[in-house]
Amino acid sequence: MRTLRAALMAVAVALLTLVPAASYASEGHQPKTPIKHFVFLFQENHTFDNYFGTRPGVDGIPAGTCMPVVPGTAKPCVKPHWIGDDPIVDLGHTRVQYDREYNGGKMDGFVAANSDNGRDGAIAMGHYDDRDLPYYWNLADNYVLFDRFFSSAKAGSVANHMFAVTATPGVTGRSERIPPEGWGDLPTIFDRLQDAGVSWKFYIENYDPSINYKTRDRVELVDRAAQVIWAPVLAYQRFVEDPELNKHIVDLDQYYKDVQHGTLPAVSYIVPSGDSEHPPGRIQAGQRLVRALVNELMRSTSWDSSAFLWSYDDWGGWYDHVKPPSVDSWGYGFRVPALLVSPYARKGFVDHETSDFTSILKFIETNWDLPPMAERDRKANDLTEAFDFTASPRAPVILGTERDVAPRERPKTGPIYGAYAFALGGSCGLFLLARRRTNRLGPHPKALPTDAVISRRDRP
Amino acid sequence: MSEGTEGRGAEVAVADTDVTSSTAGRVAGTEPGTADPRTLTRRERSRRWVRRHHLALLLTVTLGVAAGVRLVNLGSLGFNSDEAVYAGQAGALVGNPNYVESFPVFRAHPMLVQTMLSIFFRSGEHDVVGRVVIGLLGVLTVYVVYLLGAELYSRHVGVLAAAILAVMPYHVVVTRQVLLDGPMVLFSTLTLLAVTKFAKSGRLTWMLVAGAMLGLTMLSKESSIVLTGAVYAFFALTPQVRRSVVGTVIGMTVAIGMFLLHPISVSLSGHSSTAKAYLIWQLVRRPNHPFTFYGVTVPSAVGPLVLVAALVALWLVYRNRTPAWREVLLVAWVLVPTAAFTLWPVKGFQYLLPCAPALAVLAAQGVVAAPWRLPGAVRQMIGGRDVSGRALSAAVGAAIIISLLVVTLPRLAPTPSATGLAGSGGIPGGRETGHWIRAHTPEGTVVMTLGPSMANLVQYYGHRDAFGLSVSPNPLHRNPSYEPIPNPDYALRHGDMQYVVWDLWSARRSAHFSEVLKGLARRFHGHAVHTEYVGSGADRRPAIIVYEVRA
Repeated sequence: MRTLRAALMAVAVALLTLVPAASYASEGHQPKTPIKHFVFLFQENHTFDNYFGTRPGVDGIPAGTCMPVVPGTAKPCVKPHWIGDDPIVDLGHTRVQYDREYNGGKMDGFVAANSDNGRDGAIAMGHYDDRDLPYYWNLADNYVLFDRFFSSAKAGSVANHMFAVTATPGVTGRSERIPPEGWGDLPTIFDRLQDAGVSWKFYIENYDPSINYKTRDRVELVDRAAQVIWAPVLAYQRFVEDPELNKHIVDLDQYYKDVQHGTLPAVSYIVPSGDSEHPPGRIQAGQRLVRALVNELMRSTSWDSSAFLWSYDDWGGWYDHVKPPSVDSWGYGFRVPALLVSPYARKGFVDHETSDFTSILKFIETNWDLPPMAERDRKANDLTEAFDFTASPRAPVILGTERDVAPRERPKTGPIYGAYAFALGGSCGLFLLARRRTNRLGPHPKALPTDAVISRRDRP
Repeated sequence: MSEGTEGRGAEVAVADTDVTSSTAGRVAGTEPGTADPRTLTRRERSRRWVRRHHLALLLTVTLGVAAGVRLVNLGSLGFNSDEAVYAGQAGALVGNPNYVESFPVFRAHPMLVQTMLSIFFRSGEHDVVGRVVIGLLGVLTVYVVYLLGAELYSRHVGVLAAAILAVMPYHVVVTRQVLLDGPMVLFSTLTLLAVTKFAKSGRLTWMLVAGAMLGLTMLSKESSIVLTGAVYAFFALTPQVRRSVVGTVIGMTVAIGMFLLHPISVSLSGHSSTAKAYLIWQLVRRPNHPFTFYGVTVPSAVGPLVLVAALVALWLVYRNRTPAWREVLLVAWVLVPTAAFTLWPVKGFQYLLPCAPALAVLAAQGVVAAPWRLPGAVRQMIGGRDVSGRALSAAVGAAIIISLLVVTLPRLAPTPSATGLAGSGGIPGGRETGHWIRAHTPEGTVVMTLGPSMANLVQYYGHRDAFGLSVSPNPLHRNPSYEPIPNPDYALRHGDMQYVVWDLWSARRSAHFSEVLKGLARRFHGHAVHTEYVGSGADRRPAIIVYEVRA
């Protein structure tokens, strides 16, 4: 009897424990907004001013900007200029570089910081516009462009990528290296999603499963070792070794199949390979990648419940005029471009709210009711101002790579209608006139006799 | 009395009998040898009424049948490429938002027909309405042929000619489509009627009318300019017909002036260079059919018995040695366009349609004027009774019409088949493919088709930009309206085009581009998302396939 009572108690306790867990899991499956598929693409190394600084209606490059060659000395200086097809170089984008450009908040070190080792620092003041990025600009016309979206860390790729998945820099001190033993137990958004039973995938372009935190230093793999930086999950023992977790890390080809087959997970992270727009690579290649990903989503059944956001992991050394707010010792870094494409995104909206990569985490956590991972994502803006969930989803529009396409010129139709009305009316009038005249006057004296037949003999 | 005189006398007698009997009946209200109408029974009065008005009744029935075969089941197949272009032009002209961006207003031809159609294309998508308009103009042509036959020969000939044209597959098929040729034939037949009236009356105003009608004919489709050759040939070969230098100059001036309205209106609307581009293209176009094209396609469409009957009419003239001005006019109207379009390298099924009314009148005259007699053996079979020549004429006429109906009726409910000749009907599955594309692809989608014809259908029904793979990058070898795809591989690789459409008919025209298109679809992960089929059972096969592609 005592044993039975103990057993019943145990069952009751177990049930009491399981009920909240079960309800949490089921709630976790249900998004709080119409967004059932959130896709985040992480490109590389550009600032907001570098891509959209000349765009009207945004917090772009101020008029009269001229960056001193020597910080603190007004002249000589370098004005922002259009890069176009000029070759570019990979500018420095480390913490040290950041500090030199930031120059204690004076924001006047962009040329000087890039003028060492024989380089011409003037390139940092270069910018692109819609001639180079017509598709991005077209998307901005139709969806949401963020003009106060900051990189999370005043550092390079490693810390910023870690912010995007853990809301922390991962690294400690001024180091920007992945620890040899990986990131240990540091929680990621994917742990949260996995625990809540929310589907997720990490898509990697040209994914090589053999490259992870344990192998990245091998000589034969070092050229492609950046995969571990861009996909921080590959620097986690559990994500690399646990098949249940590892199966979520797939090649980008799978994205197209998932979209096509309607199996796109709730949360997707995408990192590119050669078309990341990382200088000196061609930015148009990245634009092409974004276009392919967005178009595929637009053509799918998932479009009506999806949101696609992409941004740039760090500023890449380029000039940006907005002094980043200071939120902690790591951030924010300089502004980076960020755009949101969704059937619920406000049309042509410029989002002036201050956001960073942890805002993406905040949106995911809010939408799927997940607990935050750190202070940063707890406090972050959740991006909801960019959406209008009261409206019905907008139909997809595949945008081209041409700007300001003039509508086909319509001819003046008055002369056409007038001419043909005259022709028809005049002909009818002539017909009636001829009939009346013939009826009144009869045949002409020289006319053929009625039913006359001309024989050879009759010919003159 | 010579043979020639005998023949002439016989011909005149036939016409006179017709005119006299009908006039006498109209004037007197009675017929010779009949009783006082007040004493007739109701049935006899009905019979008498029918006898008196049988031609009007036959004409009414003819026009009814003409309307029926032109208007029934018009929406069973969607537009073909040319129809889509003309309807798209009409829509663009009137500012229909569906077509303003996809179809330029000015293309290869003058705009008379498109301007008339535009009244009905203000908004939405139309195919049946456009075809109804053209079909009704076709019925009007049948009526004008009656007037022409009556003017040239007799009302009997007019009615029979109208009946022949009413059910002639050639005319029926073309006037069931939104093509320029149907209205063009209406105006060319009016030209023929005006020339006839001038020849008979000698009144110069009819030359003005002829010039105006010829102008309208050319404003419908500029290729009808060859009919000026027919008019010239007629006057050159019939010196007995009154020819006035003033009248000829005025007629020509009216025709030219009328036609000049096209370039003038184009110029005033701000597109003067368009016509030049088309003219150059038309002059250097490559042949699209062999020399024998019309010999193969047109006789069966006109009807072999119609051709035989027309030859009988000419044989009668030869037998009686009376080369009459009427036959010269009709033969010129047939031979000049036939010779011109045979020599012209670019050919089209419907190009010889202006010949059809003249052939119908000639055939009707052949049937009515021939001295039909039953062979002795047949007379013996029916008990030695004789049958009147008029009854035999009616029987032959009926046989011709039935032979035409046998061909025409199946064309009214066409089953989607793999055979397709440009201008001979709609494209099976083309409209459905366009609708599928509009419903299932995002706005802004750009489509690569095998040829420009399917591109036109995708643009008309799908409201998506479409470009033909086979359109030549060489401006001398392409229609100025079509834009080539300079680098198809690049376009797909860069995501500039998101769908590829293959179709059976374009593939038949160019096996090379068919293979290229399929190769591109394979290379860019193409998977079929929509297929239209033709045929049934074992013959069922894909006719149109839409592939979704990605870089």
